[in-house]
Amino acid sequence: MRLISKKTLLLFFLPGAVFMGMFLIYPIIKMAVDSFCKVGITGSRTFIGLDNYIKAFSTGGMGLQLKNTIIYILVAVSIETVLGFIFALLFESNYKGSKIIRSLMMTPLMIAPLVAGLIWKLMLSSNFGIVNEILVRIGILKSTSDILWLADPRWSLFACCIADIWLTTPFMMLMILAGLQGLDSAVTEASRIDGANALQEIFYIKLPGIKPVLLTALSVRIIDAAKTFDIIWAMTQGGPNSSSETISIIIYKQLVKYNNTGYASAMAIIFIAVLVVFTLVFMQSLWNPKKKA
Amino acid sequence: MEKKSARNTAIIIISALFTLFWLFPYLYVISCSFRKGSEVIAVPPSFFPKTFSVENFVDLFSRMNTGGYMLNSLVTAVVSTLIAVILGSMAAYAIQRSGYKISQFLVILILCLKMIPTSCITVPIYEIIVNIGLYDTRLALIIVYAAINMPFVMWTMLSFYEGIPSSLDEAAYVDGASSLQTFTRVILPIAAPGLATAFIFTLFLAWNDFLVALLLTSTNAKTFTVGLAGFLSAYSLDLGPMCAGAFLFSFPVMIISMFAQKFIIRGMTAGAVKG
Repeated sequence: MRLISKKTLLLFFLPGAVFMGMFLIYPIIKMAVDSFCKVGITGSRTFIGLDNYIKAFSTGGMGLQLKNTIIYILVAVSIETVLGFIFALLFESNYKGSKIIRSLMMTPLMIAPLVAGLIWKLMLSSNFGIVNEILVRIGILKSTSDILWLADPRWSLFACCIADIWLTTPFMMLMILAGLQGLDSAVTEASRIDGANALQEIFYIKLPGIKPVLLTALSVRIIDAAKTFDIIWAMTQGGPNSSSETISIIIYKQLVKYNNTGYASAMAIIFIAVLVVFTLVFMQSLWNPKKKA
Repeated sequence: MEKKSARNTAIIIISALFTLFWLFPYLYVISCSFRKGSEVIAVPPSFFPKTFSVENFVDLFSRMNTGGYMLNSLVTAVVSTLIAVILGSMAAYAIQRSGYKISQFLVILILCLKMIPTSCITVPIYEIIVNIGLYDTRLALIIVYAAINMPFVMWTMLSFYEGIPSSLDEAAYVDGASSLQTFTRVILPIAAPGLATAFIFTLFLAWNDFLVALLLTSTNAKTFTVGLAGFLSAYSLDLGPMCAGAFLFSFPVMIISMFAQKFIIRGMTAGAVKG
């Protein structure tokens, strides 16, 4: 039985579709067109074929930003996953007050990425930042100017990662916790009776059990980390010397600061295409086996 | 038995320490808000304020139109969220229940739209807004937020509708209800937790937005995040008021997310954990 006629489908879907068409689909079509053009300041467009794409892939193109984005994703997401897993294991057991501690832990979750960036910019400042002061007091650094988190090209990207890790580890914890709570307790109990120790239990029972949840969480985080803009903008604006410039930042800079609409559009189209392909491939591999089963 | 309770105590202490460590940045910002502006940038920095002061808040209010920007953030976030949730939940229902081939395509399309980085599409959006004469208005932010958050609402609602058996729709249909009646009287009441989840998330997404407001506003419709970022470009003297602003801006968010925790957890794990 068809519950919804084609007409009703259209009627229900159309109002939302108008919004999305206007501000999501049309901008992408426009960028796709612009990516093949040289766009003048006055808005005049001359067709130049694949030149913008060739520029993006040649030296001085987006190679450095791609490298930075990948480093950012690898560092931030892997540390978030490990910490999130440890936290989830700790918070898994129920005791008096565990709910309060759990919800306190969750509080950074909804803070604006911009605010997270601002907070860490203050804390990582070289002269009046409290992080270096603490590191000196506990003897890790000799002087507070040993690590210039935001001004040293070797550290700036990692400084941004720290803010990201602080902001989103609770998300990882939450996802993994949900996975752990969904596990059949009979299996863990059986393994205990068979003499498995805590570590064996974690690596042979719990980790394989939460694999689907973990993979979903990872894919969500990888895409979000790739898109990160606010945190980096608040902390370093991509500097110093492009050392913390990711793809999101370079596209924005080329569009707004340098007015290279054509070139920026080409980079944006490549970026969106990569994200979409990643999502579809991931969906295919994660969800299809389940549906067939 | 004794061994087990000792282990539990250890877990409690370690968890509490970790949590405290994690909250440290936020506690530090609160502590910085309530001290003198000069003390925020004092060398060496200290965690506890030497003197209690509301100077930073006074500065914040005198240096930027705090109330006005806050109101802009609130109005645009609430109205855009209402639009996105109402239209998004309707559209998602039609897609989930229709069973046409095209609806499968639409599901994938929505997932793809959800992946688009805002930093990529803000400039074309800026051009559209300028062309229709809405630059620096709240209306511009409202319609843009509603549009870019709609795929998220739809995605959340799709997984909720999936859990509602379509026999309910059939029963309503047999009883002579129209599609709209079925949707509003039968399905929506059951999907209320889903709506709450979508609403809270979208509200925070819009409230926390920085990039869209940065490009689409200048004075009248400027939101709090854009105002706050203004303290960045200037001198380190501004860090005191900046802390006060960061505290004011995120405090309501933290309180709401404590109370609405159930919905937030559900929203984050929706689709990932099949119950």
